[in-house]
Amino acid sequence: MKPVLQVKELSKIYKVDTVETPALRGVNLEIQPGEFTALAGPSGSGKSTLLHLMGGLDRPTAGEVWLDGVRIDGFSKTRLAHLRLWNLGFVFQAYNLIPVLTALENAAFVLELRGEPREAREEKALRALETLGMKDFAHRRPNQLSGGQQQRVAVARALAAQPKIILADEPTANLDSKTGLALIEHLRTLNRAQGITFVFSTHDPRLLERVDRIVRLEDGQIAA
Amino acid sequence: MFNLLSLSWRNIWRHRSRSLMTVGAVALAVFFTLFYLSFLGAMENGIYNNLTASVGHLQVRVEGYREKREFRDLLIPNAAGVEAQLAQKTQAARVIALEVPALIAGETRSRGALLLGNQRPPEMRARFIQQHLVEGTLPAVGDLEGIALGQALAKALKLRLGDPVYVYAPGTLGRGAAAYRLVGLLRFPDPAAEARSAYLSLAAAQELAAPGSATRIELHFPFTRYTQDAQLGPIQAQLAQQLGPGLSLESWKEVSPAIAQIFDLLTPLVLIFAALFFGLAGLLVLNTIYLSLLERTRELGVIVALGAGPAQVTRMVVLESLLLCSSGALVGGGLGLLSIAALSGGFSLEALYGEVGGVFGLPETIYLSLRAWDIPITLGFALATGLLAAWWPARVAASLEPVEAMRFTA
Repeated sequence: MKPVLQVKELSKIYKVDTVETPALRGVNLEIQPGEFTALAGPSGSGKSTLLHLMGGLDRPTAGEVWLDGVRIDGFSKTRLAHLRLWNLGFVFQAYNLIPVLTALENAAFVLELRGEPREAREEKALRALETLGMKDFAHRRPNQLSGGQQQRVAVARALAAQPKIILADEPTANLDSKTGLALIEHLRTLNRAQGITFVFSTHDPRLLERVDRIVRLEDGQIAA
Repeated sequence: MFNLLSLSWRNIWRHRSRSLMTVGAVALAVFFTLFYLSFLGAMENGIYNNLTASVGHLQVRVEGYREKREFRDLLIPNAAGVEAQLAQKTQAARVIALEVPALIAGETRSRGALLLGNQRPPEMRARFIQQHLVEGTLPAVGDLEGIALGQALAKALKLRLGDPVYVYAPGTLGRGAAAYRLVGLLRFPDPAAEARSAYLSLAAAQELAAPGSATRIELHFPFTRYTQDAQLGPIQAQLAQQLGPGLSLESWKEVSPAIAQIFDLLTPLVLIFAALFFGLAGLLVLNTIYLSLLERTRELGVIVALGAGPAQVTRMVVLESLLLCSSGALVGGGLGLLSIAALSGGFSLEALYGEVGGVFGLPETIYLSLRAWDIPITLGFALATGLLAAWWPARVAASLEPVEAMRFTA
């Protein structure tokens, strides 16, 4: 099967003044459609960096990133933004909801950026919130929601746009074990029911127990 | 449900007090600009009306009269014939005037003065009387005995109504000397003009100095400064062709080039002041927008990460700036229009500039009013301020790298 995401000899070196810090060293990885994959490893192993590079959020120092058979690492800023908007969903560790928008408006935000008509985006956003059990909180602002509820709204935001792939950076890191577990179950259900490809960075063992595949990273390389 | 406009609106009110200060600054700039425009417009209108009332919109003179020194060289012979010829070509009110340098004396004192004999249409005569006559009357058409003096001149000559006034006009072509009776006292904004003004009927002045002649024929149109003055050019060109040899037709601008030059300077002056007002307000808008973006760097990083392109981010920032400026424009514009409407009935500026204003032909009463383009100009400034103030912050926001921005801590 043709991989939906692929990186080849991917390297990333962070440079501060004259000090160079390698974050990734020649990583090769393929993600198949519908996979539920975790990038695991200790802090500083390069999980988030790899996730960011795969999502077009950052540029590699060397190597290639392919999305759906198209090489994207050389894309311009505008093309990368367009690509993220129409193909990828993101869930961040710190929820990163927009505080002046309600849960429903946050969930519909990507659809608004796409220019979808109001009714259509509201319907999709509500459905996504409902899937995650957040329909009753649709008109609350983020500061009126718990951490777990905010993270579910963040997932709904990624889900409402119906992307091919959702990339999640430590989605359960700020949640208590019960809420984290519930969120993992939600993601797993979505993966199975809708065939969405999920790639996580995590060191949460509860999440690792429930994934199809674990890619372990150590010192910027995939561990054998 | 939101859209980018409502998101921008909510963003600017995250820091209510800061945004209110910024809106206030823009409102002040709009208010002052509108008020300033209407004030200078009213001054310009007032000066224009004063000037054209005294010299006419167009004026027939002897060609090259500025270089001529002899009284006789300044005379338009057969003034009534020239006036009749003009009457066939234009509906403008016509005033035939004869200016005579003369020595005016009472029983004990004498002064040099510029004696003016003129013949005005009834409505202009009535307006002149209403504006300038303080006591007595103005010599009637054809009156060969009465004279009116500026009250400062009468005071200097120790004359009262009914006293005899002796006039000497040496070197002229008429009787050269005559005695009149003081029938009226006149007041003028310019005290120097009042101290040298003497008025006769045209017939009396011609009998005294130049039978049948005039030094100028004024054409008065019912024009206002901003709506119709531009029509004068073609009319002047057309009428000039009808005049006989040796005569010229000048507009008020040519008659009073200094005033015309002041008028040309007024609009750029207003625009410079408006640019200053808005420049200062713009700095506050820039500061507000930039601080707001700095505080929301992480959030902007998320928005970019989710797929907002540079154009969308720019649009969001520009929208915020424009919303701030248009809120200010709405408040300032409303207050400005209300103030202008409240003062449109006129208010006196005499206390402000006293007698000095009269020297420069400034009107005593100001009637605030806006010209058609004043509001678009002011709103244009507010809009431009919003766009310019947003330009740099928008560039910064649009160039954010999502990963770096999401790591940012203010």
